[in-house]
Amino acid sequence: MVSPFFSTRNRNYLVGLILVGFCVIYPFLVDAEASYLVYFLFLTFIYVVLALGWNLVAGYAGQVSLGQHAFFGIGCYMTAITWRAGWTGYLDPLAMLMSGMGAALVAIVIGLPLLAKLRGDYFALGTLGLGEILRVVCINGGGLTGGAVGIGIESSGYKSMTPYYFIALLITLLALVSIWLIMRSNIGLALVAIREDEMAAAANGIGVLKYKIFAFALGAFITALCGSLHAYYIFHIHPAGVYSLNWAITPVLMTILGGTGTFWGPVLGAFILAGVFELANLWMPELHPIFSGIFIILVTLFLPDGIMSFITGHRHAILSRLPLFNWIVRKK
Amino acid sequence: MTGFPSFAIFFKVLMNGVLVGCMYGVAAIGLSLIFGCMEIVFIAQGAVMILAAFCIYWMFTWTSIDPFFGFLVIIPIFLGFGWIMYTGLFQRVAKAGKNPSLLLAFGLMVLLEHVMSLIWSPNTRTVSTSYSASALRVSGIIISFTRLMVSIVALITTGLVFLFLKKTMLGKAVRGVSEDMRAAALLGISPVRVSAATFSIGIALAGIAGVATSITYPFDPYFGFLFSLKALIAVAFGGLGSVEGAFLGGIILGVLESLSSYTISAGWADAVAYVAFLIILVMRPKGLLGRSVEKI
Repeated sequence: MVSPFFSTRNRNYLVGLILVGFCVIYPFLVDAEASYLVYFLFLTFIYVVLALGWNLVAGYAGQVSLGQHAFFGIGCYMTAITWRAGWTGYLDPLAMLMSGMGAALVAIVIGLPLLAKLRGDYFALGTLGLGEILRVVCINGGGLTGGAVGIGIESSGYKSMTPYYFIALLITLLALVSIWLIMRSNIGLALVAIREDEMAAAANGIGVLKYKIFAFALGAFITALCGSLHAYYIFHIHPAGVYSLNWAITPVLMTILGGTGTFWGPVLGAFILAGVFELANLWMPELHPIFSGIFIILVTLFLPDGIMSFITGHRHAILSRLPLFNWIVRKK
Repeated sequence: MTGFPSFAIFFKVLMNGVLVGCMYGVAAIGLSLIFGCMEIVFIAQGAVMILAAFCIYWMFTWTSIDPFFGFLVIIPIFLGFGWIMYTGLFQRVAKAGKNPSLLLAFGLMVLLEHVMSLIWSPNTRTVSTSYSASALRVSGIIISFTRLMVSIVALITTGLVFLFLKKTMLGKAVRGVSEDMRAAALLGISPVRVSAATFSIGIALAGIAGVATSITYPFDPYFGFLFSLKALIAVAFGGLGSVEGAFLGGIILGVLESLSSYTISAGWADAVAYVAFLIILVMRPKGLLGRSVEKI
């Protein structure tokens, strides 16, 4: 029958390895500059990371944040400002790291009062206000933020799509691995305990606020990394664009679609939703947003718990239908 | 700003804020009712409002019926619309928890916005009647006639909703369900029916706010989300789930915006509103009136 080598665990590793391998090799197989799929994957990787960030805060720690676009915007602006000033270069890892740190710091400072005082919907509303405040601040920021026009940078630095693609892939993998490790450590246990019952968690000696802030800051960090990459990619950032609620709500939708509080849910949701949006955009550019709206409604009606819970409920039935899986198992 | 503003100007700014705030208030009551009963943040509220505004736009440009008559037309239509939306969509996902409902409301918002932009084009529209530009002059203070009328309608609406909640059986059932759904069910109240009624009323209130918007402001299909945000802030001012608090919150928000855009600049008005909103959330999470039901 199935050899130990193809145990469930190894099989999962194998599938993951194949997928990552495909993502690494693919840009070399095709013309990366012209390939639509490379662009699509780049965009989707960013959404995956944003969804992972939200899932960490809302799915695992149970603090529903609607203000992730605030951190995305901070990442964009910090990168663009230091870049324009000449302190950092083009696609500078230091600038990206710094943007992430900056957002994490803001998350800690903001998170201290908000996470300590607000619960549930109130926290969601508070974070929503945070993003809107930052947008207004950037519009009125004068020379530093460039007002409503924003900051434009010479796009002569752009040479190739490939580095963007690989940086996005790297951030995605790092985010996945770090969340994987966190959720397998004491911190992950504490976060889930807080989500399930905050009072019980506190009674068991968990420093509730500390863990909540940790999750919030880490979520902000990886969100700002995406913002930083986004700034390098579009060369012109403006408040309405980077503080658009799109950056906060689309990842939320992706996570809920995939399955909130599951590890693969955000990844799956991001790929499916981004795919549906792109396909709708290709086939019927005029009706695309309408189609997307209908799609969201249909999913919530028929798969309200997300796709992951559906898959785990029907795991065997689905897996046994995958051609690759049968091939692997039958080979032995 | 030069020196302390004269009383007349100050009063005018204040008055303007109150008039705008009444509109926020009506939208906020709808949001608050829906939240109180179903615990969902219905972010499509603004899109529903704009839908009503476009209906009035059609009615006015095609038949030249006075837009104020539109209140009578919109209310029954939107009551039915809300009923259909609840029984067709929200009732089905209510069991699955809060997140899917939020997602559903978002999907609905996207759908409505783009259907509207398809039907009416994304251009900004106005309903300009013969009296749109007229104003009343009361001892040196100029008050826009349409805004004043709209605020009076808003006040009447709020009064009626308040009476409905306090005096009628259905209204008492609504309050019961928002206080404790299980206890209400034990007393023989059907939470599903009460929720459907509340939702329809919430949608109808959004419709009223939409008619008010069409009379006083230019609007486009995507204008609604901003209004949803404002209504949310107003609701948070009053405490989630409280009706009189929501209306009061709307007025506070209107006054705050009006005052800050006069004293600082219009660009910062939004930030001031949001900062006040954050401060109130942190200092008095249950709202200024502090009478709402604890919901976690």
